[in-house]
Amino acid sequence: MKTKHAKAKNQDAGSKLRLSQLPAYLIVVFWVIFTFVLLGWIFAASLSTSREIYTGEVLKFASGFHFDNYITAWNSQNVSVFFMNSVLYATVSLIGIQLICAPAAYVLARFMFKGNKLLKNCFIVAMSIPSIMVILPLYSAAVQMHLTGTRSLLIILYICLNVPFTTTFLLNFFGSLSHTYEEAAAIDGCTPIRTFWKIMMPLAQPGLVTVGIFNFLAVWNEYFMAMIFASSDSLKNVGMGLFSMVQAMKSNGNMGGLFAAVVIVFMPTFIIYLFLSEKIIAGITAGGVKG
Amino acid sequence: MIVLFLTPAVLAFGLMFLYPVTRTVIMSMFSVKNVTDPVSTWQFVGLQNFIDIISNVTFRRAMMNILRIWLVGGIFTLSISLLFAVILTSGIKGKRFFRAVIYLPNVVSAVALAIMWTQYVFSSKYGLFNHVIKLFGGKAVNWMSSGMKFWSMLIAFIFGAVGYYMLIFLSGIERIPADLYEAATIDGASKIGQFRHITLPLLRSVFKTNLTFWTINTITFFVWSKMFSPVDSEMSTMAPIVYMMNLVFGGKGITETKAGSGAAVGVLLALCVLIAFTLFNVLIKDDEIEL
Repeated sequence: MKTKHAKAKNQDAGSKLRLSQLPAYLIVVFWVIFTFVLLGWIFAASLSTSREIYTGEVLKFASGFHFDNYITAWNSQNVSVFFMNSVLYATVSLIGIQLICAPAAYVLARFMFKGNKLLKNCFIVAMSIPSIMVILPLYSAAVQMHLTGTRSLLIILYICLNVPFTTTFLLNFFGSLSHTYEEAAAIDGCTPIRTFWKIMMPLAQPGLVTVGIFNFLAVWNEYFMAMIFASSDSLKNVGMGLFSMVQAMKSNGNMGGLFAAVVIVFMPTFIIYLFLSEKIIAGITAGGVKG
Repeated sequence: MIVLFLTPAVLAFGLMFLYPVTRTVIMSMFSVKNVTDPVSTWQFVGLQNFIDIISNVTFRRAMMNILRIWLVGGIFTLSISLLFAVILTSGIKGKRFFRAVIYLPNVVSAVALAIMWTQYVFSSKYGLFNHVIKLFGGKAVNWMSSGMKFWSMLIAFIFGAVGYYMLIFLSGIERIPADLYEAATIDGASKIGQFRHITLPLLRSVFKTNLTFWTINTITFFVWSKMFSPVDSEMSTMAPIVYMMNLVFGGKGITETKAGSGAAVGVLLALCVLIAFTLFNVLIKDDEIEL
């Protein structure tokens, strides 16, 4: 009898706690449901005909699942080209950024020399310089050097654009490693450059992976540079590709294809996020990543 | 080794930031027709470019638009994200899940996200918002009409932005020592009292970070404006960068390109960032304790 009473009391306390938290849950759950409806509907629409979309019968799938939307979007609407371009831009830039930034961050974090502080500050200031302050001279320089209309131009720009943020982010990682590693390596006769590659780089790997994810997402979702420097269809990345599809939509009315393209563009970043969201979130809260 | 490791990063900085920014600033004081015109054809006009753009109706409207986005959008974005951060740290279940879903829009390409809003949520025929309104017996709203467009764009923009600012608030709240709350509870302070007298004052520097990011974010407002009026740049969604692009590369209502004036727009916006940055640093003092 006594235990039963205690149990009832406990349950009471539990439900009371939950009741006071109810408004809090409601607000968050409402927002989350909205997000799911938004994404879910887009996915459903990508499998429907344009007619079904216009008549508001997306979730019925009366005429079955139209996977052909994906095939049309991929083949005849150039999404394959945009997608492969973005894969190329993102992966090559990612490697380039890390090759440039890791050594720089290492040296800046662990060696004191004249101009060290100045360089660190330069990178921090560069992070908040709006792109519009740099694109006009870059454009005219690219035209003069006959680089417009090439993929390498965009890759070079994406690499340089991400150098300040990546270097600043990696500074903290290299700074937090113990100096005993280098001392031990030096005693064993290891050259500083070898020490960096063989010992410090592997130790900084968690930081390199996190910042690599950010670089990949940033380049994948980039729009502004691509708008100015990817003039032809064959150079466009997914962002610019989607944009031209919306403009074309006005004339061809292929809604299903457009939503299929949206899903294709969204998928890679979504899958990355599905597996690495904790790492991404930790990286943002640690570094105050630029939005 | 120091020189070897630093050279690529410094080169990237010079190429991508130092040289272009300097040239843009100089260019803003010259009359330049096309971006690609050689320096020898530039004509010095002093501050005339600035006077021209400030007296231009379109530019003024664009500045008013981003001022409204900054103020109205800022109030909503920062309060919603602070509310979410407080809710998620109040000990509710599923915190990691909610956090991940609310941040999700930030990893999606802005173009894809904007398509979801313009082609689905705000659609007058089959859109989510009108569907819900009709469900409750209300009258359908034409979200994409010229009168509503700005506010529709702002709603979509806020939805995408909240997650990021929430994460920054979240990490700030989590760094507040728990014993402060325990002591307050023992002294009989209510939850709301604790929020007002502990959480808010200790979040001062986090507020500063968020305000700074928000300001940079609205000054460089571009993709959403472009996506909500993809064919012509409409006045209601006009942003300074859209105006600048039209000035430099041609566009609606622009009879001859004026690259010099475009550079002046860039310089003005960069100045806004600088002024906001200085103001926040002077007005909002950092906390006595390092959080």
